[in-house]
Amino acid sequence: MSEYSVLGKKLPRVDGLEKVTGAAQYGADIHRAGMLYGKLVRSKHPHAKILSIDTSEAEKLPGVRAIVTQNDVESGRRVFATDKVLYLGEPIAAVAATDPDIAEEAAELVRIDYEVLPVVQDVMQSIQPTAPRLHSDDTKDGPTRRTIKAQLKKLQDDESQDHSAEIAELNAQLGILEDELYYNISAETHSAIGDVEAGFAESDLVVEDTYVIPRVHQTYMEPHVSVADVDSIGKITVWASTQGPFAIRSGIAGTLGIPLNRINVIPTTMGGGFGGRFGVALTHVPAVLLSQKTGRPVKLQMTREEEFLDGRPAPGCVIKLKTGVTADGRILVRQALGFWDSGSVSGASIGSTIRVRGVYKIPNLKVDAYGVYTNKSGTAAYRAPGTPQVAFAGESQLDEIARQLGIDPVEFRLKNLREEGDLIPGGGQRGGSNEPKVGYKETLQAVADAVDWKNRTKGPNQGWGVAIGDWTNGCGPGGMYVSVHEDGSVRIFHGSMDITGTDTALAQIVAEILTVPYEQVTITRGDTDSAPYATGSGGSVVTFTMGNTAKLAAEDTCQRILELAAERLNTGLENLELKDGKVSVLAQDSPRSISLGELAAYSLSTTGGPIVGKGSFARQPSTPALAAQIAKIEVDPEAGRIKVLKMVSSQDVGFAINPMAVEGQIEGGTVQGYAWATMEEMQYDENGNVNPGFVDYRVPTSADLPTVESVIVEVEAPNGPFGAKGVGEPPIIPTLAAMANAVADAVGVRVTELPMKPERVLDALSRK
Amino acid sequence: MRNFEFFEPTTVEEASSLLAQYNGKARLLAGGTDLIIGMKARTEMPEYVISLENIPGLDGITYDEGSGLRVGAMTKMRALETDAIIRDRYTALAEGAAEVGSIQIRHLATLGGNIGHASPAADAAAALLVLDAQVQIGSADGQRTVPIDALFTGPGTTVLEPGEIITAFEFPPRPANSGSQYLKQKIREVMDLAFVGVASAVTLNDGAVENTRIGLAAVAPTPIRATEAEGIINRYHPVTKEILEQAAEAASAQSRPISDLRCSAEYRRQIVGVLTRRTVQTAINRAQS
Ligand SMILES: Cc1cc2nc3c(=O)[nH]c(=O)nc-3n(C[C@H](O)[C@H](O)[C@H](O)COP(=O)(O)OP(=O)(O)OC[C@H]3O[C@@H](n4cnc5c(N)ncnc54)[C@H](O)[C@@H]3O)c2cc1C
Repeated sequence: MSEYSVLGKKLPRVDGLEKVTGAAQYGADIHRAGMLYGKLVRSKHPHAKILSIDTSEAEKLPGVRAIVTQNDVESGRRVFATDKVLYLGEPIAAVAATDPDIAEEAAELVRIDYEVLPVVQDVMQSIQPTAPRLHSDDTKDGPTRRTIKAQLKKLQDDESQDHSAEIAELNAQLGILEDELYYNISAETHSAIGDVEAGFAESDLVVEDTYVIPRVHQTYMEPHVSVADVDSIGKITVWASTQGPFAIRSGIAGTLGIPLNRINVIPTTMGGGFGGRFGVALTHVPAVLLSQKTGRPVKLQMTREEEFLDGRPAPGCVIKLKTGVTADGRILVRQALGFWDSGSVSGASIGSTIRVRGVYKIPNLKVDAYGVYTNKSGTAAYRAPGTPQVAFAGESQLDEIARQLGIDPVEFRLKNLREEGDLIPGGGQRGGSNEPKVGYKETLQAVADAVDWKNRTKGPNQGWGVAIGDWTNGCGPGGMYVSVHEDGSVRIFHGSMDITGTDTALAQIVAEILTVPYEQVTITRGDTDSAPYATGSGGSVVTFTMGNTAKLAAEDTCQRILELAAERLNTGLENLELKDGKVSVLAQDSPRSISLGELAAYSLSTTGGPIVGKGSFARQPSTPALAAQIAKIEVDPEAGRIKVLKMVSSQDVGFAINPMAVEGQIEGGTVQGYAWATMEEMQYDENGNVNPGFVDYRVPTSADLPTVESVIVEVEAPNGPFGAKGVGEPPIIPTLAAMANAVADAVGVRVTELPMKPERVLDALSRK
Repeated sequence: MRNFEFFEPTTVEEASSLLAQYNGKARLLAGGTDLIIGMKARTEMPEYVISLENIPGLDGITYDEGSGLRVGAMTKMRALETDAIIRDRYTALAEGAAEVGSIQIRHLATLGGNIGHASPAADAAAALLVLDAQVQIGSADGQRTVPIDALFTGPGTTVLEPGEIITAFEFPPRPANSGSQYLKQKIREVMDLAFVGVASAVTLNDGAVENTRIGLAAVAPTPIRATEAEGIINRYHPVTKEILEQAAEAASAQSRPISDLRCSAEYRRQIVGVLTRRTVQTAINRAQS
């Protein structure tokens, strides 16, 4: 993109130096005078009644300053368990002491008597009538019962005729379908497009499988941490490592019943988030309670073990998927039934089940999905929440279909891709809208070209796998100021959290518009007391939202610059041009110009005052983002281990504001997808989580993968800043399926349960 | 972590006396890569920690054609894996050491700690078994030698008496026509503990395979020798595919693995066979070249 001087360039990150020198202040680096150390008292059982809580021994330990339980929560909102615990590690109380070791010791001394209850960890068991109930005895109907009940209602409402025979028949059917009465359901979602029955009837080939995807942790490098300091008049300050300081502020306010203006959240540099660093419950609220009680600053920091027990990971799920196609490879119909493990509360990404539609035209689609309670912690977002799981099912099955039809898997996908102008199904009967221009074909073609797909070769036990998946580019509200200083340097002031390069993109946008060198732009992140509101940094929103905000703020700044220049150079706005950091008078015999620095200095003594531009933005329709990947792998057929030989990842990014940062996102997401496919898995049994650490919860290291090759595809996104769209989430989506498809190509067996651990691969091979 | 008292003795005798004095409440500290982890997790709560760091003579590798190899207990894994003689003649030991954690860990982790910790999955243990290591044990009362086969008594336990410290490992000389290999079944390339570890060592005599040793890790309460399989390889000549298969089956049969969260006992047994076959074959190839 040669038309730009700063945009589209591989410029170093604005936060690079402070990170590599260790100067960046993470949450764990915050220290306040007189600070106490908090520790949560956690449940030792995954399911139990709490009979009594006795803090007296712990209180006697020298150095202990306060212990809080639910009794200390005046708002009454649930912060700690009181009568019942639903997972191992659920917080019951919190301790503050003068030293972390004392706090830990005190937490051990809090005596809790339990009556242990039966445990359920498996979603398919949890829905059974025999399963222990976590919340109530309520039941929900499965998809067939729902359909029958809808028919029944229709017949009963129809008074024009006597339907009693049909009604009796349907009632009898309901009786037979007892096993479609689900227990422990936390949420449900149902949608249908077209007519799936007709679709299957018309299909030449119907394939049906069950896919099982495990719960995985975001494994951000920095465990949750907060430092809370409540002053003598009750004003709360919280240093938080979070993706969304404004969400933390409103979370604390809502939980404790405190007005927003009495809470200031100061965000620290964030040690990774991936969607898992939004919640208020884990450390922020307990730290505030302890500080309120002691009148001293309190630091509450989770250990890695606590992260596994009480983090909010990505949900595992079971997806039953059925797809019908014509003999010449057109997808006619797809039906999915999903059971998502939402842990002890509702909130798994069940809505993502609809993404079995993928990037394809599928005229008939039916999706029923349920969140299911189990004795685990709740879940949260993880990079394209829910979608890697669904894409694993969807893209594995398409691959299997392509194999059975004898069609090349890339060809098969190309044939079914959505195209610009297609009617987007969805929105029920509303008719939907039309497909915008999205690089579906370009992206798939690019990755295929990058590996020379048609001429690919492989040795024994080697295989190639392809997959593609899409995602929504989110957007949200944000505000920003830009000011120009007397030396011509520029400062951006905002409240959005930098996740892996977003600040860099903002600096590039502002530098481009103000025509100043990139190095001249710096960024200040305010806290929630001082910065304009910004949406949380998740859902691939930041570059889209804050990029647009930055564009508006920079344009507003330009306007003021030109006004000042017109005043100073005594000419009309229309005669002026901002270029290379100075404003020049166009079409003049004797060229006259004035630099931004001179204008900034001049502005200080004008009626209008200093140069401050403002931008505010909330939403604009965005277009889907997507990624396609091809993996070449080799399987050790005797020991079951998978080795990746080549991994190529393409992505439609709209416009790459900083191609280096984009490649970083593509590489990171792909590696996380690879990890989910091959090794990551939170394991549970009747005692709770059994692998709460990096010894048995394996994340890959740089030794596990060759360099991920990134292919950037740029199909301009209509409302994105300079055509850019969100890039953070899509690259994790296709990897799980690409890996499984490669294994199937290598050894002729399809693994439908992740991760593809060596033992599981051998199991599959033995069933060949 | 619990508070503890810290000692830095400068002789084996002094360390031994402290260890004996606080028997049961004291722990030796070498690289700390097992001990500190345990203390943080509160599975180890020593009141006294005795560092071996300042005792001269515990670190180092010496080799002599006549008497063989001597490795001090405080020798780092990184030193073992990069030592030219060990790589050449005691290859399984270099490979076992190279499998431990990461390069950073291996700059801290010692051979004495790996063996003293007595994990059934210790990556150096199988190599010591097949290279006939003799364990030198020192105390305030003097010195004794225990063959590696007789050191381990169970997961985390050894024949060491109160006050005894491992000072060195001695290995007999290995002729040029010998070869060895250690292979580890893992999921992650580095920083993974062994699902199964197998080391094999052989010596060739006129083309016949002799002195076969096969050591298994992570498939019994202690690292063990697969003696049945060793006998099969020694007995038949040439070592054909069928012989290797028989030996693999014998090694599997002799292993006593458990099922746990990492994998099933059946899988471990199967992998013992695969790795036995592979390591014996490689050991023979290496002996030939
Ligand atoms: C991240 C990580 C990854 C790891 N990966 C592996 C791996 O892949 N494979 C593997 O085998 N291990 C692994 N380990 C474990 C550990 O690094 C090794 O067992 C290491 O060799 C222990 O040595 P150390 O010097 O650190 O022992 P320390 O922790 O200092 O001591 C371990 C134990 O041995 C005792 N001890 C130490 N020295 C002596 C002595 N001279 N005489 C008697 N007793 C003694 C100590 O009292 C203690 O009980 C890993 C550890 C970490 C932290």
